[in-house]
Amino acid sequence: MAVLKPRSRHLWFAWLLVVAVLSAAPPAKISPEYAYKAGLLSKLDQFVEWPARAFRDAQSPLVIGVLGEDPFDSYLDELVLGEKIGERSIIVRRFRQGDDVADCHILFISRSEAGQFEKIISALAGHSVLTVGEDDGFEHAGGIVRFAVEGGKIRLRINPDAAKAADLTISSKLLRLATLVTKEKG
Amino acid sequence: MPSTRKFSAPALTALLISAAALQAQSLGPLPTPSALKMMSVEQLMDIEVTSVSKRPEKLSEVASAIQVITADEIRRSGATSIPEALRLASNLEVAQIDSRQWAISARGFNNVFADKMLVLIDGRSVYTPLYAGVYWDVQDTMLEDLDRIEVISGPGATQWGANAVNGVINITTKSAKDTQGSLVTTGVGSQLRSTAAARYGGELAPGVFYRVYAKYFDRGDSVRPNGNKSNDSWRVGQVGFRVDWDRTSADQITLQGDGYDGTEGQVGPDTIRANGANLLGRWTRQLAENSDLKVQLYYDRTHRRIPGSFTQNIDTYDLDFQHHRPLGAAHDLVWGLGYRLVNDGVVNTPTNAFLPPRVKHQWFSGFLQDEIALARDQLHLTVGTKVERNDYTGFELQPSARLAWRPDKTQTVWSALSRAVRTPSRIDRDLFSPATPPYRISGGKNVVSETLLAAELGYRVQIEPSLALSLATFYNSYDNLRSLEPLSPPLAFPVVASSGLYGHSRGAEFSADWRVSPRWKLHAGWNELRVSSEPQTGTIDRSTRDSIARDPNHQVFLRSSLNLSTRWDFDSDLRYIAPIGNQNLPGYTEADLRFGWRPSAPWELSLDAQNLLHAHHPEFNSPGSRREIQRGVYGKATWRF
Repeated sequence: MAVLKPRSRHLWFAWLLVVAVLSAAPPAKISPEYAYKAGLLSKLDQFVEWPARAFRDAQSPLVIGVLGEDPFDSYLDELVLGEKIGERSIIVRRFRQGDDVADCHILFISRSEAGQFEKIISALAGHSVLTVGEDDGFEHAGGIVRFAVEGGKIRLRINPDAAKAADLTISSKLLRLATLVTKEKG
Repeated sequence: MPSTRKFSAPALTALLISAAALQAQSLGPLPTPSALKMMSVEQLMDIEVTSVSKRPEKLSEVASAIQVITADEIRRSGATSIPEALRLASNLEVAQIDSRQWAISARGFNNVFADKMLVLIDGRSVYTPLYAGVYWDVQDTMLEDLDRIEVISGPGATQWGANAVNGVINITTKSAKDTQGSLVTTGVGSQLRSTAAARYGGELAPGVFYRVYAKYFDRGDSVRPNGNKSNDSWRVGQVGFRVDWDRTSADQITLQGDGYDGTEGQVGPDTIRANGANLLGRWTRQLAENSDLKVQLYYDRTHRRIPGSFTQNIDTYDLDFQHHRPLGAAHDLVWGLGYRLVNDGVVNTPTNAFLPPRVKHQWFSGFLQDEIALARDQLHLTVGTKVERNDYTGFELQPSARLAWRPDKTQTVWSALSRAVRTPSRIDRDLFSPATPPYRISGGKNVVSETLLAAELGYRVQIEPSLALSLATFYNSYDNLRSLEPLSPPLAFPVVASSGLYGHSRGAEFSADWRVSPRWKLHAGWNELRVSSEPQTGTIDRSTRDSIARDPNHQVFLRSSLNLSTRWDFDSDLRYIAPIGNQNLPGYTEADLRFGWRPSAPWELSLDAQNLLHAHHPEFNSPGSRREIQRGVYGKATWRF
């Protein structure tokens, strides 16, 4: 700051003080990859129709669940804050292994739950939960949407049979952007 | 039940951050939640989120002093024009001369016509071959449609060609696919007296997207040092379109064009009239994962009538071809060919004349660049050259060698040696004053290309995902810089334009980006610059060496982007620009503030204050011709539907 005149120095100091007071949150521990994945996760509801019975009433919120270690920091919460679908607000809830996740509408299953997928997914049979995962084979294990990273970019892999079994309708707009995985393909 | 969110249309169309160039460096900056909200699913899927095993396609963009200004940063800066947005790049000198003129350059030799910076808008050069420099008053578009601005300080001549001596400013707009739906924006204020713009984007046929836009603004006067208005208020209207056709996943075709018309005040009763139009077509084809072809053709017309000075009409036709392919495992080749034809017609006045008034010039160019992996993922050498032929000086060679060492995925050490040239323009060869003999000032038939030899050394580090630092240092040695030499010394006049100066510059550009939290981002920039020039042996220069380089020795920038909530943004920046000694221009500190509010998804309201700290302050020129820039406050409303 040696190049600054005293008056300027005061200005810099005042400016720093103002911005410092306005925010005192701790640094984010999140990589860009998970920031963008959070972005995608928060937008999936725009492309999915749930059956009426998946909600108690027209006002009850849409629940995005995160099962296991949360890789999104506060991003997911910030992304859905204030967003509405009709009269529904969107809320984020976090779960640990063994919790009842059947009330979620979208469930992100963290990598920390690897090996438990089939168990988690079979427990959701009969519930309209859009399951989202990241690991290889997630969509083959009955998961509906997988965020795969290919060529450095996020790619969607969708298992339409699993979506149908959960009574979910995924819009063609999203399906067009995804690679569809069916049983025949293995 | 249907669950289409009401805001999905704007979300699909809206602003995005696309720091692809930086993303390629394995760990890009963290996007803010509000930026993510604005992105469509397609856009989210188009970002490189992890380092790719293949080498980044444009190594030069990473292993060089590049700064990327994203659409989100432009929106949040409150910039009302492209020159104002360029203040976001701390590796540039940006000085507002008066209400409508700007001096913008990297690495020194800044001037009213900063002739060592190449500026491209969607691949179209806007460097004027008449005057050598950029008429910033007519370089505009819907700011909401800008995708990003890359600012490269340092020579980019091997790839970009002549006049990319001190740097390249590469402005790109979004694909029409990403600007679907309607947008209307309007603002009123004290300096930006009024502005209105509208854009509509739709789909002509499956996969064929288009947008059309129209905008208008009216800007107020700058003032003289005593506070009196200087009669340079101005207004411009502009319309344009862009069509993007993803013919197949590998073929993309773009057709775009703009037209504008403006009137601008100047000293004296008559106003300047400036208008123009351009049309550009581009076809890119992905041949394989690492291989692509690009063909681009454009036409550009500019007209400017400066009462009492001259009237110009310039027609430019430009054809470019580029092919990129790997060769074996270790080589990545890019080569290209270019042709440009310029028809330049001037209507002279008694005061001064371009002689001959009408000229036709052609440029031919070719370049070849090879990026060689010396040690996979760790050490890359890029060598290449551009060969260019122009009608003034014949063949010009602009080679460069660039070495990048990445000891790990978070650090890059790079170094480069380059040669670049500024080829003569009509202002060097053809400008006479007065219009008939005896001339006091004559065009120099012997003016040759200015040459630069540049050495650069830089370091980039991502200390953690939230903190990135960059340092670039350089030493530039120039020869044959433009001079004005007396024909019969010791008489001061007549003078003739010549190439009689040496120049040297050295400096350092430091920048830091810190995401303090998901809601708060800080940017800091610090530039040090020393420029000098002296006559070559046996040369008596009258161009007043003071006038070819008007640069501050230091510049410091601080910017804060804070999301007070998901609906409220607060942005502030401070800049300190040191005195410009040879212009007796004092240093100054200025601040901009912006409050943005999104009461509901389609609406955004903002209150912006520009140059808040002084009623008026000067940024350029010596006291006699100096104009001062007034504080500006404006409010703006944007509606997307």
